[in-house]
Amino acid sequence: MRVQFASRNDLEAYLRTMFPDAEGGLSPLRGGNAAANRVLEAFDAGKYAATRNFLNGTVSRLSAYLRHGVLTLAGVRRHLLHKHRNLDRFLKFVQELAWRDYWQRVYAAEPDSIWHSAESLKTGRPESHYAAQLPADIQNANTGLACMDAFVTELKTTGYLHNHARMWFAAYVVHFCRIRWQAGAAFFLSHLLDGDPASNNLSWQWVASTFSSKPYIFNKENLEHYSSGTLCANCPSRKQCPFDATYEDLSERLFPHV
Amino acid sequence: MSKAVYWMQDDCLRPGPGLPSVYVFDTEKLLKEKWSLKRIGFIYECLLELDVEIRKGNPVEQVALFAQSHGASRIITLETPDPRLQSQQKELARGFTLQVELPEPFVELKGRIDLKRFSRYWQRAQGPAMRP
Repeated sequence: MRVQFASRNDLEAYLRTMFPDAEGGLSPLRGGNAAANRVLEAFDAGKYAATRNFLNGTVSRLSAYLRHGVLTLAGVRRHLLHKHRNLDRFLKFVQELAWRDYWQRVYAAEPDSIWHSAESLKTGRPESHYAAQLPADIQNANTGLACMDAFVTELKTTGYLHNHARMWFAAYVVHFCRIRWQAGAAFFLSHLLDGDPASNNLSWQWVASTFSSKPYIFNKENLEHYSSGTLCANCPSRKQCPFDATYEDLSERLFPHV
Repeated sequence: MSKAVYWMQDDCLRPGPGLPSVYVFDTEKLLKEKWSLKRIGFIYECLLELDVEIRKGNPVEQVALFAQSHGASRIITLETPDPRLQSQQKELARGFTLQVELPEPFVELKGRIDLKRFSRYWQRAQGPAMRP
């Protein structure tokens, strides 16, 4: 295949002809070692622990480079050590690298099980109560929920989503819409630049409760807080927000048989 | 030593062992998993910085053709948990000497590791992960 391109537009046009079935265009996030090193240098690991849960907080944005081995977990750890001599301040971030290592080890232990639930659901419902397909309104960012539609739009445009947004979206799909985690995981894999079956599918299972001791859910207060109110302010569904309840009420509504 | 080529897979897009190298877009997998152009483009941009021949099609056929074109009887690649890649590696091993190398681990953990929950893994990994 070709390796010389006059511009990024030229590359995109070439790839469209070579992969005519692939949806969309290039991401604004660039591939390659040079881009990876720029992102790594720009990452302020010291701010990570305190702000990482906010959509506008400091996160590394290294996941796509790690997924494709442009950078390695060991290499990023070494980079931090070289720069700061000591990792004590960076426990949360090193733990995040370790999560990726952990998912890979789980995947390697049972590669053929990555699309199967590791454990039974703890939602009080059997898997047969969950729909197999992700509905078109979710896939097309047309649910009328500003948050979920924004996440899908960002995912499809950039191939990246903040981890908290991934968790909210997964909880919405699996628990609020009662759709099988596999449908959401497959949707993510077709778009995420960092999509790998280990981190992606096992995180979906963590939310679904097939790889955790209880289902993960969120409420409006949580989403509004960590998105700094930006998503809820102009939401067309703000008067009938399905997430506007206490955790206790949501649990009773979503999991009445538990 | 017989001639060798390097098969670069999609979880190791970094400089290889200095051998003639090939990457193959697995078109059947991309179609089946509905990979968007963003994903393909990201990998392509990674490859453009590397000394690697880019192909598309069936990886087993393409890697074999690449090895033959270099007169190589050995194929070097990295270990992967991906079952599809593992089965492609097995197929290639029927016609070539396949050398599967281990990537550098994040932490060295000896013996059996309990992977039931992250917390159990982290009990073992935290020491080596945080150690200077």
